[in-house]
Amino acid sequence: MSTPSNPGNPGNPGTTGSVVVAYSADRYGETAVAHAAEQARKEGARLVVVNATLGSSLVDNRFAHDADIAALHDRLTAEGLEVVVRHDVVNDVADAVVAAADEEQASLIVVGIRHRSPVGKLLLGSVAQKIILTAHCPVLAVKPSS
Amino acid sequence: MDLILDGFATALTPENLLFAALGVLLGTAVGVLPGIGPAMTLALLLPVTYSVGADSAIIMFAGIYYGGMYGGSTTSILLNTPGESSSVITAIEGNKMAKAGRAAQALATAAIGSFVAGSIATVLLWIVTPWVADIVVTLGSPSYFALMVLALFAVTAVLGSSKLRGFIALFLGLAVGLVGTSTGQARLTFGQPLLADGIDIVVVAVALFAIGEALWVAAHLRRKPLEIIPVGQPWMSKDDWRRSWKPWLRGTAFGFPFGALPAGGAELPTFLSYATEKRLTRHPEEFGKGAIEGVAGPEAANNASAAGTLVPLLALGLPTTATAAIMLVALQGYGFQTGPTLMDDHPDLVWGLLASLFVANALLLVLNLPMAPLWAKLLRIPRPYLYAGILFFASLGAYSVNFQAFDLALLLVIGTLGFFMRRFGIPVLPLIIGVILGPKLEEQLTTALQISEGDVSTLWSEPVAVVVYVVIALVLVAMTAAGLRRPAESTPTPADDKEMIER
Amino acid sequence: MSVPTTTPTTRPPRPVVDKAQYGLAGFLVLAGGYVLLDAAGLHDGFADQPVQPYTLPYVVGAGLVLFGILLAVATARGDRPEAEEGEDIDLTQGTDVRTVGLLALVLIANIALIDLLGWAITGALLFAGAAIVLGSRNWIRDIAVGVALSVGSWYFFYVVLGVPIPAGILDGVL
Repeated sequence: MSTPSNPGNPGNPGTTGSVVVAYSADRYGETAVAHAAEQARKEGARLVVVNATLGSSLVDNRFAHDADIAALHDRLTAEGLEVVVRHDVVNDVADAVVAAADEEQASLIVVGIRHRSPVGKLLLGSVAQKIILTAHCPVLAVKPSS
Repeated sequence: MDLILDGFATALTPENLLFAALGVLLGTAVGVLPGIGPAMTLALLLPVTYSVGADSAIIMFAGIYYGGMYGGSTTSILLNTPGESSSVITAIEGNKMAKAGRAAQALATAAIGSFVAGSIATVLLWIVTPWVADIVVTLGSPSYFALMVLALFAVTAVLGSSKLRGFIALFLGLAVGLVGTSTGQARLTFGQPLLADGIDIVVVAVALFAIGEALWVAAHLRRKPLEIIPVGQPWMSKDDWRRSWKPWLRGTAFGFPFGALPAGGAELPTFLSYATEKRLTRHPEEFGKGAIEGVAGPEAANNASAAGTLVPLLALGLPTTATAAIMLVALQGYGFQTGPTLMDDHPDLVWGLLASLFVANALLLVLNLPMAPLWAKLLRIPRPYLYAGILFFASLGAYSVNFQAFDLALLLVIGTLGFFMRRFGIPVLPLIIGVILGPKLEEQLTTALQISEGDVSTLWSEPVAVVVYVVIALVLVAMTAAGLRRPAESTPTPADDKEMIER
Repeated sequence: MSVPTTTPTTRPPRPVVDKAQYGLAGFLVLAGGYVLLDAAGLHDGFADQPVQPYTLPYVVGAGLVLFGILLAVATARGDRPEAEEGEDIDLTQGTDVRTVGLLALVLIANIALIDLLGWAITGALLFAGAAIVLGSRNWIRDIAVGVALSVGSWYFFYVVLGVPIPAGILDGVL
C-alpha cells in the first residue's frame, strides 16, 4: 500500500528539512496539523502528514477516509506548503511516525495529546508517549484549546 | 385466540421478557460485529441454554434471530459490507443514502420497515402455521417422507449458485448423520466407542459455523479499515414516511410467502422487492444514488421472509435456513418431537414463541432506534480478541457437551472441513440440514415401510407424495437441461447483480 | 450462502484449473469409498427393520463417489470455486497459511492439555494464544483477558448453571 501521494519531491532544492505531524482524524489531529503547518511555513520546510492505523479493528475512527486525506492535502497545498502524505496500515503507529521522521530528515515531530483516564493508561499504550521517547529529533506536543 | 393469549402470557412473564430483551440485544450486537452471525451465535449458545427452560431459550433465540437481521442491515448501510446475502440489496441504496448524508433516514426506514414487516408476518404466522400443521398432520409417512426429500432437495439445489457443490455438502452431511448405532449396528464409528451415540449435532454446528468461519476469516483478514459513515439518532421526515410505507407493505408481501416455502431464502424476495420499487417509484432519478424506497422495500422483504421460514420449521419440522436449523437442533435437544405434531403436543411452547416474536419485534424498535450510534462503536473491537473469543467460546461449547477432549478433537476436524468448504465454495447449510434430517429421513422411511410391511410402492401411494416427486423431477429435468446448454460455466443467478456493488 | 467473489474481469482463453480442487474430489471419492466399505460390513437387520442398516450408507457412499468424480470432471473443464466472502474478509490476498496453521496448533494444544490442566488454564492459553497469533501485541493484556474469560466461564458454569467443568490440576483450588 502506498505512500507519498505527492511523488517526485525528494531532494527538491527549494526546501530544506521537514516537519512530520502525526495526524489522527479528530480534533487532536487537526490541532497538531495546524501547529505543524505553522512551523513548516516558518522554517520553509516540507510538511509530512502521517496518518496510520494498525488495521486491527474493522473500523478505526482515527484513520482518515481517503477522500478526507485528499482534501487535507489539497487544502495545505493551496496554503502554499509542500505536503507529503503517508496514509498507511502499519504494525505500530508510533514506529511509523518515527520512521517517517528519520527518512524525511525531520527537524521536528508534532503530535496531538489527549487526557487519559487511569484505566485507559493501564490498558492502552500511548502513541504520543512512545513517539516522544523514541524520536531522534525534538517533539512538539500540542493540545486543542478546550 | 385463547392460544395466542396464552402465548402472550408465557412471553410476557418477567423472566421471558428478560430473555427476549437479552436475545434482541445480543442478536443486534452479533449482527453488527463482523464475522459473527445469528447462526453462529445460536450454535455457541446451544450448550449453555440446555440449563435454561425450553421456552426461555427458544424466546431468546427468536430475539437473536430478529436482532441479527437488524444489526446486519445497520452495517450494510453504514459500511457497505453486507454480511449476509439477504442484506446485499439493502446495501445498494442504503449505503448511497448514507454517503449522501441520509444515514439517519436509511437506518430509520430499515428499522421501522423491519418492525412493520415483522409484525404483519408474525400475525400471518399465527394464522398460517396451525393451518399448515393441521393439513400435514393428516398426511401419512410416505407423504411426509416425500416432503423431507423435497426440503433437502430445495435447500441443496435451488439455493446457492453451484448445484454440484450443494449436493456435495448434502451428502457429506448425510454421511455424518450415519455415524452411530441407531440401527442396532455400529456405522462409521471407526471402532471408537465415543462415536456410538453419533456425533453430537452441537459439536457439528459449532465446528462448522464458529471454528470453520474463524479459521477462514483468519486466513483472509481485511487489513485496511473500512470507511464508516458517522450517524446520529435515526429519524424520518414526513416525506420519507410517505415514500416508505407502501414499499414496506409490498416488501412484506414478497418476503413472507418466499420464506414460508421450503426453498425459501431471502435473496429472491429482496431482489424482487427492489426491482418492483425501482419500477413503481416516482423518483426514478434517485435509484442508484440513494432512494429510500430501495431500502424500505428489501428490508421489509428480508424480515418478512425470516418470519416466514418459521412456518416450515414449526409446522413441518423442516428448517430452510442455517438459523432455523440450529433452532430445530435446540428443540430436539430439549426432547421435543419436531414435526407437524409439535403444535398439538406443546401448544404452550409454540404459542409462547409465536407471541414472543411480536414482543421481540417491538423491543427491537424501542431499544435499537436510540442505540444506533452505540452499535457502530462495536466495530472498534480489536479483531484478534473477537476471533480469539469465538474460538474460546466454540471450544467451551463443544467441551461442555460431555467434558471430553475427544469432542474437541472432533470440533477441530469438522472445523477444518468447514474451512475447506469455504475455500471451495461449498455451502454449509445443506450439510447441517443433512446431518439433522438424514436420521429422520431413515426413521420416516422405516415407519412407512413398516406400515406397508415392506412394500416399497407405498412410497408413491399417496397423492401428495406423487405431486412432490413430480415437482422434484420437473426441477431436476429443468436443471439438467439448463446445465447441458451451458457446460462448465458458473450459472448466472441474482448473484450477478451483487457483483455490481462496489466494495 | 456465499456471495460470489469478484472473479477477474478478463477471463483467460484457456480455462485455469484450480488444482487444489482435485484434492477435494479425491477426498470425496475416498470418503464415499469408506462409507461403502463400512456398509458392506453390516449385517442384515432385525426382522422388524424393513430398511436395512446398509441401505442408506450405500446410497450416501455412492453419491459421494459420484459427486467426487463429477467435481473432478468439472474441475478439468475449468470450473472454479467461489470462495466465501464476508464482512471481514479480503480475498484479494492469498490464504494466510501461517496464521491458520498456528491457530490449529493452539487448538491442538488445548486438546492435548485440557485433561491434565483443566479448562480454567487451557482456556486462558487458548484465548491468549489465538489473540497473539492473530496479531495482538499486548501479551500481558491478552493473558489477563484470557484468564478472566476462562475462570469466569468456569464459575458461570459452576454457580449459574450448576455444571462443574473438570478442574484438572486446579481441583480444590477453584
